[in-house]
Amino acid sequence: MKKRLAVIMIALVSILFCISPAMAKTLTIGTMSPLTGPYAADGNDIANGAKTAVAIIEAEGGIPGYDKIEVVSQDTACDPRQAVAAANKLVNLGVVGVVGAYCSSSTIPASEVLNEEDIPMITPASTNEKVTERGLPYMFRVCGRDDDQSIAAGKFIKNYLKAKTVYIVDDKTTYSQGLAENVAKQCEKLGVSVVSHDHVNQGDKDFSAVLTKIKRANPDMLYMSLQNSSSGSLMAIQAKRFGLKCAILAQDAVYHPQFINIAKEAAQGVYFTFGYVDKTKPSYQKYYEKYKALFGEPGAYSAYAYDSAYVLLTAIKQAKSTDPAKIKAEIMGMNIQGASKPIKFFENGDSTANYIIQVVKGEEFVPFWNPETGTLY
Amino acid sequence: MEFFIQQTINGLTLGGIYALIALGYTMVYGIIQLINFAHGEFFAAGGYLGVILLSFLVSRGYLETHPWLCLGGSLVLAMAYCAALAMAVEKVAYKPLRFASRLSVLLSALGMSIFLQNGLMLTQGVYDKPYPSIFSHGNIEFGNITVSYLQIIILVATVSLLVLLNILVFKTRIGKAMRATAQDKVMTSLLGISSNRIISITFAIGAALAAAAGIMVGLYYGSVRYDMGFVPGIKAFAAAVLGGIGNITGAMLGGLIIGMVEIYGAGYISGQYKDVFAFIILIGVLYFRPTGIMGENIDDTRI
Repeated sequence: MKKRLAVIMIALVSILFCISPAMAKTLTIGTMSPLTGPYAADGNDIANGAKTAVAIIEAEGGIPGYDKIEVVSQDTACDPRQAVAAANKLVNLGVVGVVGAYCSSSTIPASEVLNEEDIPMITPASTNEKVTERGLPYMFRVCGRDDDQSIAAGKFIKNYLKAKTVYIVDDKTTYSQGLAENVAKQCEKLGVSVVSHDHVNQGDKDFSAVLTKIKRANPDMLYMSLQNSSSGSLMAIQAKRFGLKCAILAQDAVYHPQFINIAKEAAQGVYFTFGYVDKTKPSYQKYYEKYKALFGEPGAYSAYAYDSAYVLLTAIKQAKSTDPAKIKAEIMGMNIQGASKPIKFFENGDSTANYIIQVVKGEEFVPFWNPETGTLY
Repeated sequence: MEFFIQQTINGLTLGGIYALIALGYTMVYGIIQLINFAHGEFFAAGGYLGVILLSFLVSRGYLETHPWLCLGGSLVLAMAYCAALAMAVEKVAYKPLRFASRLSVLLSALGMSIFLQNGLMLTQGVYDKPYPSIFSHGNIEFGNITVSYLQIIILVATVSLLVLLNILVFKTRIGKAMRATAQDKVMTSLLGISSNRIISITFAIGAALAAAAGIMVGLYYGSVRYDMGFVPGIKAFAAAVLGGIGNITGAMLGGLIIGMVEIYGAGYISGQYKDVFAFIILIGVLYFRPTGIMGENIDDTRI
């Protein structure tokens, strides 16, 4: 009896393992972003942006040879260790490409894992220079770089605000501190004095101590380099309450519709360095309508995530293959108008940067000053 | 000097909030020797309930006409809700383990904390929720010192809640029963006091105070987020330990000390080390007084 049971068991297991049904052929791509933790808002924007691109590509006929495109979204929690685990999981699932991650400190270690397996990775949001400076062949970036961003910031501080003294605050992540240091360097180069470069902790809610210090230092401008819109809005609210009079310049990670929702009147007049998104372009309209229908109002990095996934899938479609070298050749040859900006990649994997100064006016961000020409929009 | 006074006011506000949360830790520990890790989540739940109630009142236009009534009403409702939530959590997660090892209860508390936090994330979303900004306007200026109305509201509310709690614990029969249960559960049961009921009430009071702190944090900082309970929870726990865990006066004192040290550390040395200073003080005190500042093993003020 026991023997027979064993035989049946083996037979059943072998049926399960050996016979694969004639399944639909699926192309799998991965996304990596913080879906939980303090950066969950931006992380979900990124996952949703990639899903929007898949929906649009599928509506346009999909990718020849595949019945459907699947998106596997992994949570990095903005934690380097979890990012590496997520990258390994995506490798095991056999993804052909990855969109992500959000935090530079996650993208850098995860890209090492993915590049070992020759899996292309396109980051929509990691702006630290090191992301593309390590010579990895399959690392691409759709957003701009911190050094470009800090040049735009420096020009604005010097030429438009004509500030003499600047107070810099960052929250000590690879991204926020790196950017703050670049801005400090730019200020020095342009002869703007940095009164103090102070740090707060990630996830702090109370900035009263540092704001009291800023009030005493009385600088012409506060440079707020924080890792997300949540901390940024808290600081803006408290700055207004403490009666801080100086101009405030923030950066791309704080740039999010949530910043205005939370900070409300304290958000008015806060300046941002962010890529110029031309909302009148048909490619933006196409993305916006689909995203809105699927997930509601897009966040700051949704358009970049959409473009990353769109670039990846278009490259696979054009290459008619999932061979990494062929995908890379297609990506490098691409010259398209994406939802966020015109996309053309350079040799190192970076793409065209177009940082401008935007300002909060009423309920939205409006383009304000062009650092290239030095003129107002 | 102005700088010092300003930082002291900042520190008192932050410390008051820590003290309110720390009381819940210390009361629960005093009575069943459990570190209730889910306590930070009661604080977050209070903050969320406040935003839900106040947003509703704004949409009906009541907040414009009766701001104080609305604030008071929301505060009471949120406190009542969190008290009920804490009693339910105690029934589900801790009561069945009353006679199990302390480690099992601790794990149950951790699990409850993760469950509640992720529940909040899934139901309320990952984005920050803004508080109605009607109370955030206005401040009083003395030279360069700025005291916002909200800071005054927080300080007044914190002090009155602390006074009420002291009256409850030291002047009423319920308080006497709580102190007795903390000292000897078996003996109090023999004398006809239901220890389960007293434990339930203790959880309820602690959570109600945390809920009040949640609303104040929401008003003061302008928004709430699902994971808001974690960091203040840790700080308040440190405050409770610093003051002598199990001791009510100690928790108040500990909260104020942690808040002040953080603000002075950030204000005079550097913002990046403020948590370090708070915990250095904790370690320093525990090195010389392992039971905390006010802690004694057997004491009348212990609960």
